[in-house]
Amino acid sequence: MEPAGWIVMGVSVGSVILLLTFCLFRVLTLPPVADDEPDS
Amino acid sequence: MDNASEDSAPNPYEPVENPSDAPPTTSTDSGSAVPSGSGKSSGSGEQWGSRIGVILAVAGSAVGLGNFLRFPGQAASNGGGAFLLPYFISLLVLGIPLCWAEWTMGRFGGLRGFNSAPGIFGVICRTPKARFLAVPALLIPLVIYMYYVVVEAWCLAYAFGYLNGSLLQGNDPATYSKYFDDFVGANNDGDAFNGSTNLIYFVLFTFAVNFILIYRGVAKGIETFCRFAIPLMVVCALCVLVRVLTLPADKVSAGLGFMWNPDFSSLSDPKTWLAASGQIFFSLSVGFGVIINYASYLKKKDDVVLSGLTACSMNEFFEVCLGGLITLPAAFIFLGAAAGDQGTFGLGFNALPNVFAQMPLGRFFGFLWFFMLFLAAITSSLSMLQPVIAFLEEAFSLKRAQSALILGVLTIAGSGFVLYFSGGMKALDTFDFWVGTFLIFVLAMIQATIYGWVFGIERGAVESAVGAQLRMPTFVQFMLKFVVPVYLAVIFIAFVFQNLPDSTAADGTPTPGYLSKIAGDVVVQRSLLFILGVIALLTVMVHFAGVRWIKQGKFARAMED
Repeated sequence: MEPAGWIVMGVSVGSVILLLTFCLFRVLTLPPVADDEPDS
Repeated sequence: MDNASEDSAPNPYEPVENPSDAPPTTSTDSGSAVPSGSGKSSGSGEQWGSRIGVILAVAGSAVGLGNFLRFPGQAASNGGGAFLLPYFISLLVLGIPLCWAEWTMGRFGGLRGFNSAPGIFGVICRTPKARFLAVPALLIPLVIYMYYVVVEAWCLAYAFGYLNGSLLQGNDPATYSKYFDDFVGANNDGDAFNGSTNLIYFVLFTFAVNFILIYRGVAKGIETFCRFAIPLMVVCALCVLVRVLTLPADKVSAGLGFMWNPDFSSLSDPKTWLAASGQIFFSLSVGFGVIINYASYLKKKDDVVLSGLTACSMNEFFEVCLGGLITLPAAFIFLGAAAGDQGTFGLGFNALPNVFAQMPLGRFFGFLWFFMLFLAAITSSLSMLQPVIAFLEEAFSLKRAQSALILGVLTIAGSGFVLYFSGGMKALDTFDFWVGTFLIFVLAMIQATIYGWVFGIERGAVESAVGAQLRMPTFVQFMLKFVVPVYLAVIFIAFVFQNLPDSTAADGTPTPGYLSKIAGDVVVQRSLLFILGVIALLTVMVHFAGVRWIKQGKFARAMED
């Protein structure tokens, strides 16, 4: 594989993994949603 | 008749005084438990069990065979690594904004008592007539399910073929092509029913699994299954990925290069940008009528922005990180550049079995691969059943079992049609083109227009911000109003010009367009008649559903919010 191919692959795969990791971390560390309460 | 009654009424949202079939507002009936004016939970009373559960369900809906078989082929034939630039631009401009729009509209409708697209569109557009715009949102998942379940059965059968060793047939490509054609009945119509293949048993089993899960409901069926299936898919795919990447290093490097080496000159070709946009569009399951239904089961304070982005990123992980590193590199290592010229089914069911037959421990890894494809397919097919079953429950106050029975009859008829007219896979191809591609564009444009110009981006911004754990950038709303509809229209027009008229391939071979296929093939004509029949049936059902909702005052109560 050419160096440009390694760079494109690394950037693409790395970006997606980074985004997924960020999203999953945010989702999994959120407190559970409380049951809906009546509007005041 | 309905139009007359709607038009003659002073206010279409006003309920009929004490209608005989109007349900009590606190009814626990599955189709009418409308929390009138409360705006707190979905119309059916069903809700997702957890935040990660709904994300996995939406991701499971999006992740399918296209992630592993279509994306690598599209990339390799459109500039390799250079394809990723228009691909990611399309993800940011088209894919993620459309997903957020569907999540927002779905939750909005669900909080006002509607889980089905006809009801949600009626509430958003503030006219019951808008429900007819949602007919494609029922038709698309219903008809796609009819052929997708057959493809799902192929995956299961191929996984089984590795368990019993019947798929280890040497390295002659023609052997695998013949195996596939014989198995799916591609040689003659009716082969699937005359005992020459055991495909029918796999289809029946797959049907049963789908309907057992869908019968259990959103949380107990779909969510529970996806919580188990998605991690298992990751494990299976990672095992195969490790196997591929630990083959001799020079071969792995060459295989990855076939997929990822960029040809930047392709960026000046409009076809590359169209292919990238199309791949993103179909990959994320936007315009299927699924996300809007799934999001309708959210609670009022449930996040839609972070959840939507997480589901999109999960889909991208399967597509770019797993599909992009496994499928074509593995095929190139064993079969050479010819592997890239095959279509989705050719790559998946002809080339890859040949690859696994030549790979050390190929029987084990072949089983893992096709079992993973089966799981990917079943999480998608479940999402296709839910919008229709939600509509049947909501429209006619049917119980789950009754809705499942009606849906079962409809889908068995459709799948039987696809199975019977298996010669050349013409019925499957016709369903896939006109409903699984053409109409998806249409529905996506309808949804984008409704969100941007009827629901309104100001309202969209406010609604999406409720419970949001991530701030949606302001420019996304403007893109949804001005850029996305135009972008979709351009892709659609280009798609029509590429596929409907006759064309000539690069080697000079004339290729019939889909219009010529209609004129020249009786199976294609019958397939289109079947689709038109389903459209007519759904339109009539949507009509009567609206009449009931008006009589029951469901629209009126929804408008109170």
